[in-house]
Amino acid sequence: MSEREAKFPALLAELRPHCERLIAQYERKRSALLPIVHLFQEREGYVSHEAMRAVAAMLDLTPAEVESTVSFYTLFFRRPIGKYLIQVCRGLSCSINGAPEVMARCRERLGVGHLGTTADGLFSYEEVECLAACDRATCAQVNLEFVYDLTPAAVDAMLDDLRAGTATVRPLVQTDPPGAIWSIRQDEQVATGTKALGSRGVTNPNNAGGVGDAAGLIMLDRIVNKTVSFHEATRERAVRDSRAVRDVVEEEEAQAHAGH
Amino acid sequence: MPVTKVLTDGIGEVDLRDLAVYRARGGYRQWERAVRELQPADVLAAAETSGLRGRGGAGFPTGRKWSFLPTDKHVRYLVCNCDEAEPGTFKDHMLLEEAPHLVLEGILLGAYGIACHHAFIYIRGEFKRGYEIFVRALEEARQAGLVGSNVFGSGFDIEVTAHRGAGAYICGEETGLLNSLEGKRGEPRLKPPFPAIEGLYGAPTVVNNVETLAYLVPILEKGANWFASVGTERSKGYKIVSVSGHVQKPGNYEIALGTTVREIIEIAGGLRPGRRLMAVQPGGGSSACIFEEHLDLPYDYESMAKAGSMLGSGAFVVFDDTTDFVAAAYNMVRFFAHESCGQCTPCREGGHWIETVLARLVRGEGIEGDDAMMLRVAGTITGLNLCALGDSIEPFLKSVLVRFPDAFKARIPSAAPASAVAS
Repeated sequence: MSEREAKFPALLAELRPHCERLIAQYERKRSALLPIVHLFQEREGYVSHEAMRAVAAMLDLTPAEVESTVSFYTLFFRRPIGKYLIQVCRGLSCSINGAPEVMARCRERLGVGHLGTTADGLFSYEEVECLAACDRATCAQVNLEFVYDLTPAAVDAMLDDLRAGTATVRPLVQTDPPGAIWSIRQDEQVATGTKALGSRGVTNPNNAGGVGDAAGLIMLDRIVNKTVSFHEATRERAVRDSRAVRDVVEEEEAQAHAGH
Repeated sequence: MPVTKVLTDGIGEVDLRDLAVYRARGGYRQWERAVRELQPADVLAAAETSGLRGRGGAGFPTGRKWSFLPTDKHVRYLVCNCDEAEPGTFKDHMLLEEAPHLVLEGILLGAYGIACHHAFIYIRGEFKRGYEIFVRALEEARQAGLVGSNVFGSGFDIEVTAHRGAGAYICGEETGLLNSLEGKRGEPRLKPPFPAIEGLYGAPTVVNNVETLAYLVPILEKGANWFASVGTERSKGYKIVSVSGHVQKPGNYEIALGTTVREIIEIAGGLRPGRRLMAVQPGGGSSACIFEEHLDLPYDYESMAKAGSMLGSGAFVVFDDTTDFVAAAYNMVRFFAHESCGQCTPCREGGHWIETVLARLVRGEGIEGDDAMMLRVAGTITGLNLCALGDSIEPFLKSVLVRFPDAFKARIPSAAPASAVAS
């Protein structure tokens, strides 16, 4: 049992009155889910399994319901992260005003990429969607505190300050050592048997958990443009899916021509 | 037309976060007048007469939205949407951090207008500081007797709850927001029933944007006709425009609707010296670009729609001739692909696939026909989704692809002339 796990019952007892006040704000208990998870994350640095189970018990939900909800939101971390979370805006307004250079400098200085944590556990780095501060491009957040008008030189100064402990931003709580990547990767989930193999090879799965197999686009096209036929054998589809969409479409068109 | 100061009045000059400062400038006087002297129907009438339309993106007439609430059900909710995440929009962020009492007074007036006793404000998870500022303002207002039971001795009870999200663009969609507020995944709901009939906890609910509700304060103060006298025929009043991109003085500018696109660019300091305007995205990430020939159009709901775009949330992004529109299209589509909640196949799959194709175009590894294929897929996605997110993938992409076809062709090695590949 880790130190954090050992301390969890005491933390739960401490936070329970606060949680009950949060629950009382709403007509239905479940509405307090996000605020309560925020509360636990602030104290543990991430949303631990113990926290999710405790929240489930408080709100009369199953742990799966809590985990499903937590996994929907990008600001809930289900793995430990660094003491300083640097989130650089990759929105369009920032991107045309220097964000690529800022991001390149962050990656270079930190030695990690998007969703990575440095080996010393100090920094986690993420490139995020528009942060609603487009007039001060390039913007970023450090532990959710805004940083404006970033340039590569400003990145250097900011990282030096954070490393030296002279920055005003408070470090995040860290109760467990972070791994190199905090996002829960699908191949890992497939390997541990918690997720079915459905989206192998998709490099950038979306929030849905990344279905994104080639069959999707073909199906999409058919739903609208062609008569949908669901009779094709799975084996045939598997063969088709391994090829480029373009090839499949061209083949089908060629077949249609040949048939007439 | 010059910049005006209605909601933005005092911002950057005095500390409107201070309750005493806000009240000294007439703050909460409309709230007091409403509960003491007006009926909810009067507030509703003011909203209708003013011609105020939703400032969050859809532009739906506010008064009409309220009037959809069934009259026979007494439990109803007001939810203020402060999940501002439309790319290029940063007005609600400013109002929340700089004028939290104005935001709160707008919520209170809206709640009174629909006669509800529990209002919520859903604040974007990233606005942690804004949330803390608002919660402090709310506590101050509660202690001053402005929020709670029997406000101003009027017998009217009102509770306001601030709720912080946790990172999801889709929670700005009103039914996604309601699910998130109910502690669920922020997946949009099938409509109808619309929130006015079945919203939060199944009860009739109005969801209004921060800026929309805030405008109720000056509308009640100066009169609905004052607001309706400004603007164009069907776009009344003022609007905060978030100008960013390639302008010299990006920022939030409050203007009368109907100010021309050219004037807005000038208000924001114009382009950098020696640069040429290529495009403007006038209504957030979901809107199509407009171009040079649209510069003298009035910036209002109808004119933007007529030009094939929309006014949306008032995010106004300017692009000059240094812009790589292939990279810009990739950026925009990647955003929607990333933020898709995944419920609807066209949006979940289509966005991801267009992103993949655009990624290879950005690398200069396009395949002949990619441009036509993207248009076909984007067109396929539109109209087949539960919410507007899927439909938002097409407009920007299509507008720049049709306008700058050569920029895309230059990224397809076999189709491009040798000179284009070399550059």
